Amino acid sequence: MMWRFAAVSTRSGADWRQTDDAAQLARAAGGDGTALAALYDRHARGVYSIALRVVGDEADAEDVVQDVFAQVWRQAGRYDPSRGTVAAWLLTMARTRAIDRLRARRARPDSSAAPADDVWATRAASAADPADALTAERDAQRVRDALHELPMLQRLAIELAYFEGLTQSQIAERLGEPLGTVKTRIRLGLLKLRDALSERGTAGGMA
Amino acid sequence: MSQTHEEQALAAAYVLGTLDPAERREFEAHLATCPICAEEIGSLSRVTDALAYSVPQRTPRPELRARVLAAVTGGSHQASSLAAGEQPSRGVAREWLPLAAALVLAAGLGAYAWQLQERVATLEVRLEDAERRAAASELATVEARRVADQAQTAMAVLAAPDLVRIDLAGQAPARQATARALWSRNRGMVFTATDLPLAPEGRVYQVWVVTANAPVSAGLLTTDASGRAAVFFNTPPDIAPPVAVAVTLEPAGGVPAPTGDRFLIGTPL
Repeated sequence: MMWRFAAVSTRSGADWRQTDDAAQLARAAGGDGTALAALYDRHARGVYSIALRVVGDEADAEDVVQDVFAQVWRQAGRYDPSRGTVAAWLLTMARTRAIDRLRARRARPDSSAAPADDVWATRAASAADPADALTAERDAQRVRDALHELPMLQRLAIELAYFEGLTQSQIAERLGEPLGTVKTRIRLGLLKLRDALSERGTAGGMA
Repeated sequence: MSQTHEEQALAAAYVLGTLDPAERREFEAHLATCPICAEEIGSLSRVTDALAYSVPQRTPRPELRARVLAAVTGGSHQASSLAAGEQPSRGVAREWLPLAAALVLAAGLGAYAWQLQERVATLEVRLEDAERRAAASELATVEARRVADQAQTAMAVLAAPDLVRIDLAGQAPARQATARALWSRNRGMVFTATDLPLAPEGRVYQVWVVTANAPVSAGLLTTDASGRAAVFFNTPPDIAPPVAVAVTLEPAGGVPAPTGDRFLIGTPL
Protein backbone atom coordinates (compact mmCIF):
# COMPACT_ATOMS: atom_id res chain seq x y z
CA MET A 1 0.00 0.00 0.00
CA MET A 2 1.65 3.19 -1.13
CA TRP A 3 0.30 6.41 0.30
CA ARG A 4 1.85 9.60 -0.75
CA PHE A 5 1.60 11.34 2.57
CA ALA A 6 4.52 13.60 1.92
CA ALA A 7 2.90 15.17 -1.10
CA VAL A 8 -0.24 15.87 0.85
CA SER A 9 1.21 16.97 4.13
CA THR A 10 3.45 19.67 2.73
CA ARG A 11 0.52 21.64 1.40
CA SER A 12 -0.44 23.60 4.43
CA GLY A 13 -0.95 23.42 8.13
CA ALA A 14 -4.68 23.07 7.69
CA ASP A 15 -4.22 19.73 5.97
CA TRP A 16 -3.66 17.81 9.15
CA ARG A 17 -7.15 16.43 8.95
CA GLN A 18 -6.71 15.03 5.46
CA THR A 19 -3.27 13.68 6.37
CA ASP A 20 -4.63 12.01 9.43
CA ASP A 21 -7.66 10.67 7.54
CA ALA A 22 -5.38 9.10 4.97
CA ALA A 23 -3.29 7.55 7.73
CA GLN A 24 -6.39 6.13 9.43
CA LEU A 25 -7.60 4.80 6.11
CA ALA A 26 -4.30 3.01 5.58
CA ARG A 27 -4.61 1.46 9.00
CA ALA A 28 -8.20 0.47 8.33
CA ALA A 29 -7.06 -1.18 5.11
CA GLY A 30 -4.79 -3.28 7.29
CA GLY A 31 -7.76 -4.41 9.37
CA ASP A 32 -7.49 -1.95 12.24
CA GLY A 33 -10.97 -1.39 13.65
CA THR A 34 -9.97 1.54 15.82
CA ALA A 35 -8.91 3.39 12.69
CA LEU A 36 -12.32 2.78 11.17
CA ALA A 37 -13.91 4.05 14.38
CA ALA A 38 -11.81 7.20 14.16
CA LEU A 39 -12.98 7.76 10.59
CA TYR A 40 -16.55 7.18 11.70
CA ASP A 41 -16.24 9.75 14.47
CA ARG A 42 -14.95 12.33 12.07
CA HIS A 43 -17.14 11.71 9.05
CA ALA A 44 -20.34 9.97 10.08
CA ARG A 45 -22.13 13.30 10.34
CA GLY A 46 -21.28 14.39 6.81
CA VAL A 47 -22.05 10.96 5.39
CA TYR A 48 -25.37 10.78 7.23
CA SER A 49 -26.33 14.30 6.18
CA ILE A 50 -25.86 13.79 2.44
CA ALA A 51 -27.56 10.38 2.68
CA LEU A 52 -30.51 11.90 4.51
CA ARG A 53 -30.74 14.69 1.95
CA VAL A 54 -31.01 12.12 -0.84
CA VAL A 55 -33.20 9.40 0.69
CA GLY A 56 -35.22 11.70 2.94
CA ASP A 57 -35.71 9.01 5.55
CA GLU A 58 -33.70 8.54 8.73
CA ALA A 59 -33.75 4.74 8.78
CA ASP A 60 -32.61 4.54 5.17
CA ALA A 61 -29.96 7.16 5.80
CA GLU A 62 -28.60 5.08 8.67
CA ASP A 63 -28.43 2.06 6.38
CA VAL A 64 -26.48 4.15 3.90
CA VAL A 65 -24.00 5.11 6.64
CA GLN A 66 -23.50 1.42 7.35
CA ASP A 67 -23.08 0.63 3.64
CA VAL A 68 -20.47 3.36 3.29
CA PHE A 69 -18.34 2.29 6.23
CA ALA A 70 -18.64 -1.34 5.15
CA GLN A 71 -17.32 -0.28 1.77
CA VAL A 72 -14.52 1.69 3.39
CA TRP A 73 -13.59 -1.36 5.42
CA ARG A 74 -13.46 -3.57 2.33
CA GLN A 75 -12.01 -1.10 -0.14
CA ALA A 76 -9.82 1.28 1.85
CA GLY A 77 -6.97 0.37 -0.46
CA ARG A 78 -8.84 1.78 -3.45
CA TYR A 79 -8.68 5.34 -2.20
CA ASP A 80 -6.41 7.47 -4.32
CA PRO A 81 -5.38 10.68 -2.53
CA SER A 82 -4.46 12.40 -5.77
CA ARG A 83 -8.14 12.50 -6.74
CA GLY A 84 -9.49 14.24 -3.68
CA THR A 85 -9.73 14.18 0.08
CA VAL A 86 -10.86 11.21 2.13
CA ALA A 87 -13.90 13.29 3.08
CA ALA A 88 -14.80 13.84 -0.57
CA TRP A 89 -14.37 10.13 -1.25
CA LEU A 90 -16.67 9.20 1.62
CA LEU A 91 -19.32 11.70 0.58
CA THR A 92 -19.15 10.50 -3.02
CA MET A 93 -19.76 6.96 -1.81
CA ALA A 94 -22.57 8.13 0.43
CA ARG A 95 -24.36 9.87 -2.39
CA THR A 96 -23.94 6.85 -4.67
CA ARG A 97 -25.30 4.39 -2.14
CA ALA A 98 -28.16 6.75 -1.28
CA ILE A 99 -29.12 7.17 -4.92
CA ASP A 100 -28.97 3.39 -5.40
CA ARG A 101 -31.56 3.12 -2.66
CA LEU A 102 -33.68 5.83 -4.14
CA ARG A 103 -33.68 4.08 -7.51
CA ALA A 104 -34.49 0.73 -5.95
CA ARG A 105 -37.40 2.41 -4.20
CA ARG A 106 -38.62 3.94 -7.42
CA ALA A 107 -38.93 0.31 -8.51
CA ARG A 108 -37.78 1.18 -11.95
CA PRO A 109 -34.57 -0.79 -12.07
CA ASP A 110 -32.93 1.47 -14.55
CA SER A 111 -29.35 0.80 -15.32
CA SER A 112 -29.25 4.40 -16.39
CA ALA A 113 -27.09 6.94 -14.68
CA ALA A 114 -23.50 6.48 -13.74
CA PRO A 115 -22.84 5.37 -10.22
CA ALA A 116 -20.82 8.18 -8.73
CA ASP A 117 -18.07 5.67 -7.91
CA ASP A 118 -17.26 5.57 -11.57
CA VAL A 119 -17.12 9.30 -11.58
CA TRP A 120 -14.62 9.17 -8.76
CA ALA A 121 -12.59 6.52 -10.54
CA THR A 122 -12.23 8.55 -13.70
CA ARG A 123 -11.51 11.84 -12.05
CA ALA A 124 -8.33 13.35 -13.30
CA ALA A 125 -5.57 12.96 -10.81
CA SER A 126 -4.87 16.68 -10.99
CA ALA A 127 -8.52 17.18 -10.22
CA ALA A 128 -9.71 18.33 -6.94
CA ASP A 129 -6.89 19.91 -5.10
CA PRO A 130 -6.70 17.37 -2.31
CA ALA A 131 -6.74 20.33 -0.05
CA ASP A 132 -7.85 21.05 3.40
CA ALA A 133 -11.07 20.92 5.32
CA LEU A 134 -11.24 24.70 5.54
CA THR A 135 -11.38 24.97 1.77
CA ALA A 136 -14.10 22.35 1.70
CA GLU A 137 -16.22 24.25 4.17
CA ARG A 138 -15.72 27.52 2.38
CA ASP A 139 -16.60 25.88 -0.92
CA ALA A 140 -19.76 24.46 0.60
CA GLN A 141 -20.86 27.88 1.80
CA ARG A 142 -20.13 29.48 -1.56
CA VAL A 143 -21.89 26.80 -3.52
CA ARG A 144 -24.90 27.10 -1.22
CA ASP A 145 -25.04 30.85 -1.81
CA ALA A 146 -24.47 30.50 -5.53
CA LEU A 147 -27.16 27.85 -5.79
CA HIS A 148 -29.67 30.30 -4.37
CA GLU A 149 -28.67 32.86 -6.97
CA LEU A 150 -29.22 30.53 -9.92
CA PRO A 151 -32.40 30.86 -11.98
CA MET A 152 -34.88 28.45 -10.42
CA LEU A 153 -35.02 26.04 -13.35
CA GLN A 154 -31.22 25.75 -13.52
CA ARG A 155 -31.09 25.04 -9.86
CA LEU A 156 -33.87 22.49 -10.09
CA ALA A 157 -32.18 20.68 -12.96
CA ILE A 158 -28.94 20.43 -11.00
CA GLU A 159 -30.67 19.30 -7.86
CA LEU A 160 -32.79 16.72 -9.65
CA ALA A 161 -29.59 15.33 -11.14
CA TYR A 162 -27.39 15.48 -8.09
CA PHE A 163 -29.76 14.73 -5.23
CA GLU A 164 -32.45 12.68 -6.99
CA GLY A 165 -30.15 10.78 -9.33
CA LEU A 166 -32.27 11.44 -12.39
CA THR A 167 -30.63 11.27 -15.80
CA GLN A 168 -30.84 14.17 -18.21
CA SER A 169 -33.48 12.33 -20.21
CA GLN A 170 -35.54 11.67 -17.11
CA ILE A 171 -35.32 15.31 -16.10
CA ALA A 172 -36.37 16.39 -19.58
CA GLU A 173 -39.29 13.99 -19.48
CA ARG A 174 -40.34 15.19 -16.04
CA LEU A 175 -40.19 18.85 -16.95
CA GLY A 176 -41.66 18.27 -20.38
CA GLU A 177 -38.77 20.06 -21.99
CA PRO A 178 -36.44 19.26 -24.84
CA LEU A 179 -33.36 17.30 -23.77
CA GLY A 180 -31.13 20.00 -25.22
CA THR A 181 -32.67 22.65 -22.98
CA VAL A 182 -32.09 20.52 -19.91
CA LYS A 183 -28.49 19.81 -20.90
CA THR A 184 -27.83 23.50 -21.41
CA ARG A 185 -29.36 24.39 -18.06
CA ILE A 186 -27.32 21.83 -16.18
CA ARG A 187 -24.15 22.95 -17.84
CA LEU A 188 -24.75 26.68 -17.40
CA GLY A 189 -25.78 26.18 -13.79
CA LEU A 190 -22.78 24.08 -12.92
CA LEU A 191 -20.39 26.49 -14.63
CA LYS A 192 -21.87 29.34 -12.62
CA LEU A 193 -21.32 27.39 -9.43
CA ARG A 194 -17.75 26.78 -10.47
CA ASP A 195 -17.24 30.47 -11.14
CA ALA A 196 -18.58 31.22 -7.69
CA LEU A 197 -15.98 28.90 -6.19
CA SER A 198 -13.08 30.42 -8.07
CA GLU A 199 -13.92 34.10 -8.33
CA ARG A 200 -13.95 34.67 -4.61
CA GLY A 201 -10.47 33.30 -4.14
CA THR A 202 -9.05 29.82 -4.26
CA ALA A 203 -7.30 27.50 -1.88
CA GLY A 204 -3.95 28.73 -3.12
CA GLY A 205 -4.67 32.26 -1.97
CA MET A 206 -5.05 31.24 1.63
CA ALA A 207 -2.59 32.30 4.24
CA MET B 1 -11.43 21.15 -32.22
CA SER B 2 -15.15 21.62 -32.37
CA GLN B 3 -15.50 17.95 -31.46
CA THR B 4 -13.47 18.48 -28.31
CA HIS B 5 -15.69 21.37 -27.46
CA GLU B 6 -18.80 19.29 -27.93
CA GLU B 7 -17.58 16.58 -25.61
CA GLN B 8 -16.45 19.10 -23.08
CA ALA B 9 -20.10 20.08 -22.85
CA LEU B 10 -20.84 16.62 -21.48
CA ALA B 11 -18.47 17.08 -18.56
CA ALA B 12 -21.05 18.84 -16.38
CA ALA B 13 -23.60 16.07 -16.79
CA TYR B 14 -20.88 13.52 -16.26
CA VAL B 15 -19.71 14.81 -12.88
CA LEU B 16 -23.33 14.98 -11.74
CA GLY B 17 -23.65 11.30 -12.72
CA THR B 18 -26.55 12.16 -14.96
CA LEU B 19 -25.45 11.05 -18.44
CA ASP B 20 -27.45 8.33 -20.10
CA PRO B 21 -25.50 5.04 -20.25
CA ALA B 22 -24.50 5.19 -23.89
CA GLU B 23 -23.34 8.79 -23.57
CA ARG B 24 -21.41 7.95 -20.46
CA ARG B 25 -19.48 5.10 -22.08
CA GLU B 26 -18.68 7.31 -25.01
CA PHE B 27 -17.56 10.14 -22.80
CA GLU B 28 -15.35 7.92 -20.65
CA ALA B 29 -13.64 6.57 -23.73
CA HIS B 30 -13.00 10.10 -24.86
CA LEU B 31 -11.90 11.19 -21.40
CA ALA B 32 -9.08 8.68 -21.38
CA THR B 33 -7.39 10.51 -24.23
CA CYS B 34 -8.39 14.14 -23.74
CA PRO B 35 -6.49 16.27 -21.24
CA ILE B 36 -8.87 19.20 -21.79
CA CYS B 37 -11.85 17.20 -20.63
CA ALA B 38 -9.86 15.68 -17.79
CA GLU B 39 -9.07 19.18 -16.63
CA GLU B 40 -12.72 20.16 -16.96
CA ILE B 41 -13.76 17.16 -14.86
CA GLY B 42 -11.22 18.16 -12.27
CA SER B 43 -12.53 21.67 -11.81
CA LEU B 44 -16.16 20.57 -11.88
CA SER B 45 -15.51 17.86 -9.31
CA ARG B 46 -14.76 20.62 -6.87
CA VAL B 47 -18.33 21.83 -7.39
CA THR B 48 -19.89 18.41 -6.83
CA ASP B 49 -17.75 17.89 -3.73
CA ALA B 50 -19.00 21.22 -2.44
CA LEU B 51 -22.60 20.25 -3.21
CA ALA B 52 -22.20 17.18 -1.01
CA TYR B 53 -20.89 19.35 1.80
CA SER B 54 -23.54 22.00 1.30
CA VAL B 55 -26.52 20.04 2.62
CA PRO B 56 -27.86 20.81 6.09
CA GLN B 57 -25.69 18.95 8.58
CA ARG B 58 -27.51 16.51 10.82
CA THR B 59 -26.07 14.33 13.56
CA PRO B 60 -27.01 10.65 13.40
CA ARG B 61 -28.36 8.92 16.50
CA PRO B 62 -25.49 7.97 18.83
CA GLU B 63 -26.57 4.30 18.79
CA LEU B 64 -25.72 4.11 15.12
CA ARG B 65 -22.00 4.13 15.84
CA ALA B 66 -21.91 0.83 17.73
CA ARG B 67 -24.27 -0.78 15.24
CA VAL B 68 -22.21 0.21 12.21
CA LEU B 69 -18.83 -0.64 13.67
CA ALA B 70 -20.01 -4.00 14.99
CA ALA B 71 -21.66 -4.90 11.70
CA VAL B 72 -18.76 -3.75 9.58
CA THR B 73 -15.80 -5.13 11.50
CA GLY B 74 -17.74 -8.20 12.61
CA GLY B 75 -17.21 -7.23 16.23
CA SER B 76 -13.73 -8.70 16.09
CA HIS B 77 -11.99 -5.40 16.71
CA GLN B 78 -11.87 -3.12 19.68
CA ALA B 79 -13.55 -0.44 17.67
CA SER B 80 -16.97 -0.67 19.22
CA SER B 81 -15.59 -0.48 22.73
CA LEU B 82 -14.04 2.91 22.11
CA ALA B 83 -15.81 5.78 23.72
CA ALA B 84 -17.95 7.50 21.16
CA GLY B 85 -16.17 10.60 19.95
CA GLU B 86 -18.13 13.28 21.72
CA GLN B 87 -16.79 16.23 19.83
CA PRO B 88 -19.16 19.15 20.04
CA SER B 89 -20.64 19.47 16.62
CA ARG B 90 -19.59 22.49 14.69
CA GLY B 91 -23.09 23.08 13.37
CA VAL B 92 -24.45 23.46 16.86
CA ALA B 93 -21.58 25.73 17.81
CA ARG B 94 -22.39 27.89 14.85
CA GLU B 95 -26.05 28.15 15.68
CA TRP B 96 -25.25 29.09 19.25
CA LEU B 97 -22.55 31.55 18.48
CA PRO B 98 -24.75 34.56 17.65
CA LEU B 99 -26.86 33.94 20.74
CA ALA B 100 -23.79 33.67 22.95
CA ALA B 101 -22.41 36.86 21.46
CA ALA B 102 -25.70 38.63 22.09
CA LEU B 103 -25.69 37.50 25.72
CA VAL B 104 -22.14 38.70 26.23
CA LEU B 105 -23.06 42.00 24.65
CA ALA B 106 -26.16 42.38 26.82
CA ALA B 107 -24.29 41.40 30.00
CA GLY B 108 -21.47 43.79 29.18
CA LEU B 109 -23.81 46.67 28.54
CA GLY B 110 -25.78 45.86 31.69
CA ALA B 111 -22.76 46.03 33.98
CA TYR B 112 -21.55 49.21 32.39
CA ALA B 113 -24.91 50.83 32.84
CA TRP B 114 -25.04 49.87 36.46
CA GLN B 115 -21.63 51.41 37.19
CA LEU B 116 -22.14 54.55 35.20
CA GLN B 117 -25.71 55.53 35.61
CA GLU B 118 -25.33 58.81 33.83
CA ARG B 119 -24.53 56.97 30.67
CA VAL B 120 -27.60 54.83 30.73
CA ALA B 121 -29.32 56.89 28.13
CA THR B 122 -26.45 56.59 25.68
CA LEU B 123 -26.23 52.90 26.26
CA GLU B 124 -29.90 52.41 25.73
CA VAL B 125 -29.57 54.07 22.39
CA ARG B 126 -26.74 51.72 21.56
CA LEU B 127 -28.67 48.75 22.76
CA GLU B 128 -31.63 49.78 20.68
CA ASP B 129 -29.34 50.08 17.73
CA ALA B 130 -27.90 46.64 18.43
CA GLU B 131 -31.36 45.22 18.78
CA ARG B 132 -32.44 46.81 15.56
CA ARG B 133 -29.46 45.33 13.78
CA ALA B 134 -30.12 41.94 15.35
CA ALA B 135 -33.72 42.13 14.15
CA ALA B 136 -32.59 43.10 10.67
CA SER B 137 -30.19 40.19 10.47
CA GLU B 138 -32.92 37.89 11.70
CA LEU B 139 -35.14 39.18 8.94
CA ALA B 140 -32.40 38.50 6.42
CA THR B 141 -32.06 34.99 7.80
CA VAL B 142 -35.78 34.41 7.62
CA GLU B 143 -35.81 35.67 4.05
CA ALA B 144 -32.88 33.46 3.08
CA ARG B 145 -34.60 30.49 4.66
CA ARG B 146 -37.83 31.32 2.88
CA VAL B 147 -36.09 31.44 -0.49
CA ALA B 148 -34.27 28.20 0.27
CA ASP B 149 -37.46 26.51 1.42
CA GLN B 150 -39.27 27.65 -1.66
CA ALA B 151 -36.67 26.18 -3.98
CA GLN B 152 -36.65 22.99 -1.95
CA THR B 153 -40.42 22.73 -2.15
CA ALA B 154 -40.38 23.45 -5.84
CA MET B 155 -38.00 20.55 -6.24
CA ALA B 156 -40.29 18.34 -4.20
CA VAL B 157 -43.05 19.16 -6.67
CA LEU B 158 -40.94 18.05 -9.60
CA ALA B 159 -40.08 14.81 -7.85
CA ALA B 160 -43.72 14.16 -6.90
CA PRO B 161 -45.16 10.85 -8.08
CA ASP B 162 -48.51 12.49 -8.81
CA LEU B 163 -47.06 15.21 -11.02
CA VAL B 164 -49.49 16.62 -13.58
CA ARG B 165 -48.17 18.72 -16.43
CA ILE B 166 -50.29 21.42 -17.99
CA ASP B 167 -49.11 23.42 -20.97
CA LEU B 168 -50.81 26.79 -21.37
CA ALA B 169 -51.32 28.55 -24.69
CA GLY B 170 -51.45 32.30 -25.23
CA GLN B 171 -54.94 33.73 -25.81
CA ALA B 172 -56.17 36.72 -27.81
CA PRO B 173 -54.44 39.45 -25.77
CA ALA B 174 -51.05 37.68 -25.96
CA ARG B 175 -50.87 34.96 -28.60
CA GLN B 176 -47.10 34.69 -28.33
CA ALA B 177 -47.16 33.87 -24.61
CA THR B 178 -46.62 30.33 -23.35
CA ALA B 179 -46.57 28.80 -19.91
CA ARG B 180 -46.29 25.49 -18.16
CA ALA B 181 -47.69 24.35 -14.84
CA LEU B 182 -46.38 21.31 -12.97
CA TRP B 183 -48.92 20.43 -10.33
CA SER B 184 -48.83 17.95 -7.47
CA ARG B 185 -51.83 17.58 -5.22
CA ASN B 186 -49.76 17.36 -2.05
CA ARG B 187 -46.78 19.46 -2.91
CA GLY B 188 -47.97 22.49 -4.83
CA MET B 189 -47.36 23.92 -8.27
CA VAL B 190 -44.34 25.12 -10.20
CA PHE B 191 -45.38 27.65 -12.82
CA THR B 192 -43.24 29.10 -15.59
CA ALA B 193 -44.24 31.57 -18.28
CA THR B 194 -42.56 33.32 -21.19
CA ASP B 195 -43.40 36.25 -23.47
CA LEU B 196 -46.09 37.77 -21.31
CA PRO B 197 -46.53 41.49 -21.99
CA LEU B 198 -45.69 43.77 -19.08
CA ALA B 199 -48.79 44.15 -16.90
CA PRO B 200 -50.13 47.71 -17.14
CA GLU B 201 -49.98 50.02 -14.12
CA GLY B 202 -52.40 48.95 -11.41
CA ARG B 203 -52.96 45.48 -12.88
CA VAL B 204 -51.43 42.07 -12.11
CA TYR B 205 -51.44 38.62 -13.60
CA GLN B 206 -53.25 36.08 -11.47
CA VAL B 207 -52.93 32.31 -11.85
CA TRP B 208 -56.00 30.08 -11.45
CA VAL B 209 -56.31 26.39 -10.86
CA VAL B 210 -59.63 25.58 -12.46
CA THR B 211 -61.30 22.60 -10.80
CA ALA B 212 -64.61 20.93 -11.67
CA ASN B 213 -66.21 23.10 -8.99
CA ALA B 214 -64.65 26.52 -9.46
CA PRO B 215 -61.46 28.38 -10.29
CA VAL B 216 -59.19 28.66 -7.26
CA SER B 217 -56.55 31.38 -7.11
CA ALA B 218 -53.01 29.98 -6.97
CA GLY B 219 -51.46 33.41 -6.58
CA LEU B 220 -50.06 36.41 -8.42
CA LEU B 221 -47.49 36.29 -11.16
CA THR B 222 -44.74 38.85 -11.54
CA THR B 223 -42.80 38.83 -14.78
CA ASP B 224 -39.32 40.15 -15.38
CA ALA B 225 -38.56 42.80 -18.00
CA SER B 226 -38.47 40.19 -20.76
CA GLY B 227 -41.87 38.78 -19.84
CA ARG B 228 -40.63 35.65 -18.10
CA ALA B 229 -41.67 34.26 -14.75
CA ALA B 230 -40.88 31.17 -12.70
CA VAL B 231 -42.85 30.84 -9.50
CA PHE B 232 -43.73 28.23 -6.93
CA PHE B 233 -47.27 28.24 -5.55
CA ASN B 234 -48.49 26.43 -2.47
CA THR B 235 -51.91 25.23 -3.59
CA PRO B 236 -54.46 24.02 -1.05
CA PRO B 237 -53.95 20.27 -0.51
CA ASP B 238 -57.67 19.53 -0.50
CA ILE B 239 -58.16 20.99 -3.95
CA ALA B 240 -59.76 18.82 -6.65
CA PRO B 241 -57.50 17.89 -9.59
CA PRO B 242 -57.30 20.75 -12.07
CA VAL B 243 -59.28 20.51 -15.27
CA ALA B 244 -57.41 23.60 -16.44
CA VAL B 245 -54.95 26.27 -15.38
CA ALA B 246 -55.43 29.86 -16.52
CA VAL B 247 -53.83 33.28 -16.20
CA THR B 248 -55.95 36.45 -16.18
CA LEU B 249 -55.16 40.13 -15.84
CA GLU B 250 -56.74 41.51 -12.68
CA PRO B 251 -56.73 44.64 -10.52
CA ALA B 252 -53.64 45.06 -8.32
CA GLY B 253 -53.70 42.77 -5.31
CA GLY B 254 -55.72 40.12 -7.12
CA VAL B 255 -59.35 39.12 -6.84
CA PRO B 256 -61.22 36.15 -5.29
CA ALA B 257 -62.69 34.99 -8.60
CA PRO B 258 -61.45 35.74 -12.13
CA THR B 259 -62.88 38.88 -13.75
CA GLY B 260 -60.36 39.98 -16.36
CA ASP B 261 -59.16 38.86 -19.79
CA ARG B 262 -57.66 35.41 -20.10
CA PHE B 263 -54.04 35.62 -21.23
CA LEU B 264 -53.12 31.96 -20.95
CA ILE B 265 -55.06 28.75 -20.61
CA GLY B 266 -54.30 25.05 -20.76
CA THR B 267 -55.65 21.65 -19.80
CA PRO B 268 -53.79 18.59 -18.49
CA LEU B 269 -52.11 16.47 -21.14
